[in-house]
Amino acid sequence: MIESIQHLFAGFGIAATAANLLYCLLGAVAGTLVGILPGLGPIAGIALLIPITFGLSPTSAIIMLCGIYYGAMYGGSTTSILLNVPGETASVITCIDGYQMARKGKAGPALAICAIGSFTAGTLAIFGMVLLAPPLAEAALAFGPPEYFSLMVCGFIVLSNVTGGSLIKSLMMAVVGLIIGTVGLDPVTGEYRFTFDSTYLLSGIEFVAVAIGLFGIAEVLANVDQPLEKLEQSVIVPRFRDLYPSLKDLKASVGAILRGAGIGFGVGLVPGPAPVIATYASYMAEKRISKHPEAFGKGAIEGVAGPESANNAACQSAFIPLFVLGIPFAPPTAILLGALMIHGVVPGPMMITEHPDVFWGVIASMYIGNFILLLLNLPFIPFFASILRIPKKILLPLVMLFCLTGMYTVNNSINDIWLMLLMGALGYLMRRWAYDAAPLLLALVIGPKMEVAFRQSLMLSHGDFGVFVERPLSLVFLLATLIFLCVPAFQFMLKKLGKRPA
Amino acid sequence: MKRDELIGCGIVFLFGGITAILSLQMPMGTFRMAGSGLFPFYLGILLMVLSLLFLLTLLFAKASTPQKPEIAAPPPSAKKQMLKFLGASALAAAGFGILGYPLTSFLLMLLLLWILGIKRPVLLITIPLVTAAASYLLFVHFLRIPLPKGLIGL
Repeated sequence: MIESIQHLFAGFGIAATAANLLYCLLGAVAGTLVGILPGLGPIAGIALLIPITFGLSPTSAIIMLCGIYYGAMYGGSTTSILLNVPGETASVITCIDGYQMARKGKAGPALAICAIGSFTAGTLAIFGMVLLAPPLAEAALAFGPPEYFSLMVCGFIVLSNVTGGSLIKSLMMAVVGLIIGTVGLDPVTGEYRFTFDSTYLLSGIEFVAVAIGLFGIAEVLANVDQPLEKLEQSVIVPRFRDLYPSLKDLKASVGAILRGAGIGFGVGLVPGPAPVIATYASYMAEKRISKHPEAFGKGAIEGVAGPESANNAACQSAFIPLFVLGIPFAPPTAILLGALMIHGVVPGPMMITEHPDVFWGVIASMYIGNFILLLLNLPFIPFFASILRIPKKILLPLVMLFCLTGMYTVNNSINDIWLMLLMGALGYLMRRWAYDAAPLLLALVIGPKMEVAFRQSLMLSHGDFGVFVERPLSLVFLLATLIFLCVPAFQFMLKKLGKRPA
Repeated sequence: MKRDELIGCGIVFLFGGITAILSLQMPMGTFRMAGSGLFPFYLGILLMVLSLLFLLTLLFAKASTPQKPEIAAPPPSAKKQMLKFLGASALAAAGFGILGYPLTSFLLMLLLLWILGIKRPVLLITIPLVTAAASYLLFVHFLRIPLPKGLIGL
């Protein structure tokens, strides 16, 4: 533990250089804007801004991209409270009580509690990361290809199970993502697959184009696909002097913030869209233990403090599986994995020893980033909120132009723009038909790793599938997968039994 | 039902089938030494099985309510607006290399604003002009990222 703290101090030496502080600030500001603006979530935001980091060192680039991620999570709550429109999925729960507080003239305290809760929970989660990541990295050294494969399968099933829609549809999307991930060079034999003699496809499908298409362009199209009058929005902009919460508000929020931090940290470690699950879990927990559960849904401050803290803690702890195992469990961390690889850093158990500057520098920058976000989000909330006054009729074309330009700058390729538009149209149709895009993107990013793990496992076992159940850790992951697969079936049976007349 | 659901399911099934067929044209190898076609072949088969399972759930979910789509069906005028918006963006992609970035971005913004109902000439000219100039300065001069020069050579 003392060694970890020493490394962390060394990390502060890296993160606190003038350049890295600037990139951290830029990331936090850009992330907050991305979270606030409709049409851009953390996934499309990170993907769009990757090209800007090309000229930076890996540490500075990742510091900036991580700043965008947790900045977007902070910013997402602003639209939830002021507009009743969640900036991203994890802020849906904040709408319930946050918007009610805004309607009662308490938008300022709601936003301030969000910022304070996010800062506290984020900081506690980073401390948890410092303590947990090194021993977990050591344990992860025992992972072989079968364990990696089983863990990735488990991740897909959990993600597909908890995204809210149909399990089969989510699994279908995960398999489509895995298939798209096989385009290009075979990672084992070096042969080309599904390239149809096109030089563009030789290097595989550009994941940034898929991410911006499915999450950015599709969101813009879904917004445009409304009558003109619906494109106008009314926004409550709080005044600076109304921002500060009362002592009563703070007292009511302390417990919720700490519980949210604990729930979020735990949920972030397991596969799935951690921030979304964490916010739901925290809201339900707060409602259950509250002395006034009837106040929830009508503007209870605990209903804002708990979920927002859980959201931020989950975002931070989701970096542990990414850095330690090299496996992202949700689309935003999948995009960050892609960005790390572009910068020549391969996350995994060896990252802490091979790239200590990146690992500890990024962790230290998270402390700084959280502090910057607190400073940004308290006094500048009226400024950020005023951005929401820009009519959507102007904002949506701007987002579209930014997506087109940003996509071109990744590889200077117009084919990437075509692919992005195609994915945007596909993403729009998927929304209409209630297919979830998250499993597809995650599968596209980790598909090649999964294939390599699968084929290596079979090589090791001379083609015997028993290798996946003979190794204890792999068996545990597969059993967890089985349980998650059976959950919907059990729920269905219980529902049927409940409906049967006595 | 569920016409949309059936169409979606059919497309996914076809995608799986085509993947499996194309994979067969690659070396399959054995499980011990898998060829490049083995993994995508089984993925194609798995996708077909999953889409058939989904089809079965659609057929047998008689009285159950269909899953609510994430966005409600738009009125025809809004759909047209969305298609025009996407079409204009595709036109911009086609024009990028020929017209160059500054001109394409100006025309794209003008077209998109017009599609979304902004008809005042002052706004229709000013917003695209400012946006095109600002984005050009940001990417080309500040970030030093080359953008297509096209006919006007900027």
